[in-house]
Amino acid sequence: MADRGSSPGNRTNLLRRKPVGTEARTHGAALSRSIGTFQLTMFGVGATVGTGIFFVLSAAVPEAGPAVIVSFVLAGVAAGLSAICYAEMASAVPVSGSTYSYAYATLGEIVAMGVAACLLLEYGVSTAAVAVGWSGYLNEALRNITGLELPRAVLAAPWDSDPGVINLPAVVLVGLCMLLLIRGASESARTNAIMVVIKLAVLAMFIGIALTAFDADNLADFAPFGAGGVAAAAGVIFFSFIGLDAVSTAGDEVRDPQRTMPRALLAALFIVITFYVLVAVAAVGTQPWQDFEGQSEAGLSRILELVTGTPIWATILAVGAVISIFSVTLVTLYGQTRILFAMGRDGMLPPVFSRVNPRTQTPVQNTVIVAIAVAILAALVPLDYLIDLVSIGTLTAFIVVSVGVIILRRREPDLPRGFKVPGFPVTPVLSVLACLYILISLPWVTWLVFAGWVAVFLVFYLVYGRRHSVLGRELRQEPGPVEEPRS
Amino acid sequence: MTVVVGYAPHKGGRGALDLGLALAHARDEPMAVVTAVPRQWTTPSLARIDAEYAEYARQVGEYAEQQARGYLTDTSVDVPTAFRATTGRSVPSALIAAVKELDAGMLVVGSSVESQVGRIVAGSTAEKLLHSCPVPLAISPREYRSVAAAGFTRVTCAFSDSSATGMVGEAAALAARLGADLRVASFGVRGATMYPPEVGLSAEDSVLDSWVKQAEAAQQRLVAEGVVGPEVQCVVATGSGWGEALSAVEWRTGELLVLGSSPSGALARVFLGSRARKLIRYSPVPVIVLPGYPDV
Repeated sequence: MADRGSSPGNRTNLLRRKPVGTEARTHGAALSRSIGTFQLTMFGVGATVGTGIFFVLSAAVPEAGPAVIVSFVLAGVAAGLSAICYAEMASAVPVSGSTYSYAYATLGEIVAMGVAACLLLEYGVSTAAVAVGWSGYLNEALRNITGLELPRAVLAAPWDSDPGVINLPAVVLVGLCMLLLIRGASESARTNAIMVVIKLAVLAMFIGIALTAFDADNLADFAPFGAGGVAAAAGVIFFSFIGLDAVSTAGDEVRDPQRTMPRALLAALFIVITFYVLVAVAAVGTQPWQDFEGQSEAGLSRILELVTGTPIWATILAVGAVISIFSVTLVTLYGQTRILFAMGRDGMLPPVFSRVNPRTQTPVQNTVIVAIAVAILAALVPLDYLIDLVSIGTLTAFIVVSVGVIILRRREPDLPRGFKVPGFPVTPVLSVLACLYILISLPWVTWLVFAGWVAVFLVFYLVYGRRHSVLGRELRQEPGPVEEPRS
Repeated sequence: MTVVVGYAPHKGGRGALDLGLALAHARDEPMAVVTAVPRQWTTPSLARIDAEYAEYARQVGEYAEQQARGYLTDTSVDVPTAFRATTGRSVPSALIAAVKELDAGMLVVGSSVESQVGRIVAGSTAEKLLHSCPVPLAISPREYRSVAAAGFTRVTCAFSDSSATGMVGEAAALAARLGADLRVASFGVRGATMYPPEVGLSAEDSVLDSWVKQAEAAQQRLVAEGVVGPEVQCVVATGSGWGEALSAVEWRTGELLVLGSSPSGALARVFLGSRARKLIRYSPVPVIVLPGYPDV
């Protein structure tokens, strides 16, 4: 242990940064600067809507009461501020990818590893959460269409409030997505646009129908838990804004980013917040807030059924959710595999994560490992725990990015940036504060699990990544990975 | 040993005849042109219809032979050629039966007429043979013409990883037998970008980059292990699609592309796809599929 790694300069070792070149953009160059405001907005809306709004209400409303409407705005503003910081970070670092790549290039190796721990929650755990939510809507659609209901034992996690044995549909969904990814399937820009339309259409239908049953009395007791409740609910709701940062990862392909980026972010944020707030208003108007608890499966469909008395609309919504959430699962699972792939290439994870199957030309082992881990989570952990974990991971990653923007402005003020945060330094500071405000209201169990998780990651880094890191090898002038002989 | 050419009239089989002749000449083997004709009912019936049908089948065979003879206009070489009509449960099984009966070393079929000129689309027969033919299967592009005396200039072996080392050895033996050079080529395709791009638009570039490094390492191992000689050209070609990857390398006239194909289950084919099929589709030269090796 006490060899090269912990020799003098240990601190700089841990904070060593990956030098960024321009060679990483071979294919990107051909497509560069082709994305406009509209398409970028579609990316943002497509990546954001559909992960949370279909099932987050049952967890959020019991925390805040009807004031959940305010929570949606709060979470949206925090996500928007972070996304703007994200855009500057993405434009300052000429590597495409995730927060992990940005952090590695600007803040150092150990921070990148911490961020990676957060990203596993933002992508991996969120895939599990989405799959569990999908399972609820699938059951709803099946029951309404065929009259058959799956037994509880194969529908719910063993530690759910209404326990089952295993959440089988969620496992099957993850398995299907795994096969598609191994095959090299992907979602095209057009499919993404279609999915956005489906999601927004069913949500608009929900709003329209639920508003007919609007009863102002249900909002009378507006904030039964005060500001604390609002913040707590925002922590849960934050889950449904994840994906907004996807806008900024496309930064290097965007035409005139300084103008397009904030416009697209604001447009996407506006569309998403509008829909969410309307959904929330419509939903809390239909029934007393106490009734939301326990509607965790296919919540929006249940409300429609209660309002209209017929299962038709509920079924349409459930089918729309089943289709669109399927695509969300695919995209998020894919994101997780590619983040781990990047880490494997950097030597921060064992090379198995960056091995490409020569025939399918996809990282098969990586995909299988991720899918198994996600499937286990989806099978056994109830939705609300998963959502909290996703939120805490994402919020932390967002804070790192916002702080990173400030650090980078100080340390490298002259670095060319395609996009600069308007209102510096107020915007990133506000972003940090907004995220912190939501963070501190999350339950202590979540904090504990999160701290443990990050600790495991950092220990793994100290034991493995620090010495296997490709960057570290280069700095020590050691030969590259021994596994593949190179000329 | 002999080279069997599967020939069906009206199915654009002329390219297969040219390719078969050239292969037979280069291998110094006789050629057999086989036509699968309809099989009549073996149970005799009182009605004359059976005999009429048998007569019809005979005529089909005769017509095929006549047409094939007319097409064999390449007189640059003199290859002993036999013609025969056989029956079977299906065209592929009739051809396979003929291959076994004649102890053939190679089966040659043509591209489907669905394809563009100069390209290959495996028709229903070739598609079936792709995963069931017990000997190397050669498929000629549509409208393929050759002068047999000119022979073959080069054999390119599509290679992906070390589990297919045996195939490269077999391709090398084939190249030596045909008196052609050998080239080892790995074809990589960049995965499509996933939308919305949650991890950036160029995530697949790094996957392809890793694949290229692995392919180069695998090619170097081929040389290091002595499977191919150091003089053999090794190339790695990539593109955003199979067509682009295949056209990224140069092709000579008189070149052949060799790849492997194994009898895979229907499920595996649906979920993993047949890489061999994609390479065949975009190959600008005749393809030889070696049985018993993993798909490309």
